[in-house]
Amino acid sequence: MVKMFIESFKNLFSKPETVKYPFEPFPEPEGFRGTILYNEELCIFCDKCENVCPPGAILFEIVDIETNKREYNYNPYLCIYCGACVDVCPKADEGCLTQANTRTKPLGEEVVKDKKLGYLMNRITNPKEVEKAWSELEIRAKESREKYAEYKKQQRMKKRAQAQTKKENS
Amino acid sequence: MGNKIVVPFGSQHIALPEPVSFLFDTKNEIITNVKVDVGYVHRGIEKAAITKFEFTNVSYLLTRICGFCSITHAGGYHHGIEKLLDVEAPKRAEYIRLIITELDRIHSHLLANAHVAEVAGYENLFMQGVKDREIVMDLLENITGNRIQYDIYTIGGVRRDISKETAEYIKKQLLKLKDKVLKVYDFYDTDYTFGLKTKGISYISLDDAKKYNVVGPIARASGLATDARAEFDYLPYDEVGFEIQTRTEGDVWARNIVRQMEVIHSIDLILRAIDNLPEGDIKVKYKGRPKGETFVRVEAPRGECFYYLKGNGTKVLERVRVRVPTYSNIPILKELFVGEKYSDAQPIVLSFDPCMSCTAR
Repeated sequence: MVKMFIESFKNLFSKPETVKYPFEPFPEPEGFRGTILYNEELCIFCDKCENVCPPGAILFEIVDIETNKREYNYNPYLCIYCGACVDVCPKADEGCLTQANTRTKPLGEEVVKDKKLGYLMNRITNPKEVEKAWSELEIRAKESREKYAEYKKQQRMKKRAQAQTKKENS
Repeated sequence: MGNKIVVPFGSQHIALPEPVSFLFDTKNEIITNVKVDVGYVHRGIEKAAITKFEFTNVSYLLTRICGFCSITHAGGYHHGIEKLLDVEAPKRAEYIRLIITELDRIHSHLLANAHVAEVAGYENLFMQGVKDREIVMDLLENITGNRIQYDIYTIGGVRRDISKETAEYIKKQLLKLKDKVLKVYDFYDTDYTFGLKTKGISYISLDDAKKYNVVGPIARASGLATDARAEFDYLPYDEVGFEIQTRTEGDVWARNIVRQMEVIHSIDLILRAIDNLPEGDIKVKYKGRPKGETFVRVEAPRGECFYYLKGNGTKVLERVRVRVPTYSNIPILKELFVGEKYSDAQPIVLSFDPCMSCTAR
């Protein structure tokens, strides 16, 4: 009985075990696998991250077929934060693709804006449109690939035709 | 005698974290017959693994079968694919794998025990158990970068190293945890009211355990010494001095005690592994694509987990088959209910620590 009272008095004045999360920041340890950040200046557009991503949360859209200009798009609300893209990135040591040790803010009143999150997230303002915009982008990215492949094929045909005419002339 | 009444238990039930349905035919509180349905969370993961994913990143899918056994599925898959590709992970990587696997087992067992205490009407013990579990979760977050999905396995090694400071931190925290676990172990062992609710409930004899092919802590609580960690050589368990923990009582109480003993033993294993952590690389490179078939048996927190892999020399595997421990424990669970009171149904189910996400996949 006495032991019990001592124990309860101790508990009254001891620190709480829980963290008051929404009011206090929740501490994340070093090396926490958080948001994927991208730096376009260092990117060599090898598409390795797009191919390895398990849920397909990274997409490159070809916006200009003639110059093969690509835009990086990332969906932090589809990402599973495994870090496979950072492992596979050839320029990861220089900081092209890095994993921050902070969480992405949940999709609440507004969409998180950051230049390092890719193009799509900076274009959307309404959080309800994220899912729709992403599914549209998936289709667009696939189509742009096909168009680019066709353009390349035509270029090759042209070159071949030119070479043949040169041969005939000479 | 009263009339026959059918009482549904699930598919959504306050005591269960996952959907599973039991339909009990009862007569005056005594259960006379039971129907089980375990297929509520089927997601078609085995099919997705052989169609949408390449063999290099299919493990990200397989680890997401279940939160508690995520490291088991990663282990099962990677040990199999390493056999097919003929790679051997370095010693240091093996030790890091062992440490994470055992930490995962500790947090799973602590929560399972706490759940049994909760449904037996001992809420305070539940809080104590979950409070201790948080130490392990923090350790896992520190080493791997995530609380549940560790993703530390990779083909030919591990993705992250354990630094010296982290090793010291793990040791310090584990010694702290051991004191707390021993204190809670004392409660499970000696508490009178907890014993009333758990001792002698749902007894499994050694013969029954053998006959129904029971696995995991449930088998070990009946005196059946079966453990994939001792039987198969997939991680250096014999180097750190692994011993099988058994009891002979075979009831709900004994299952809890076996789990608690395993937690203490796992802490010892990790401490020994950290003291003897070999120097060297954590990753080796591999070549080629998987061809041929193989199987692996690894010990999940709930028992023996079986993996079958078949590759045909392409990037995508031909077959991935997973058989999880809960599936082998369902037949005996069905037998056990008959003759018990309905009020004991919750501790019986939770003493089996069922994992439905694994079972239905």
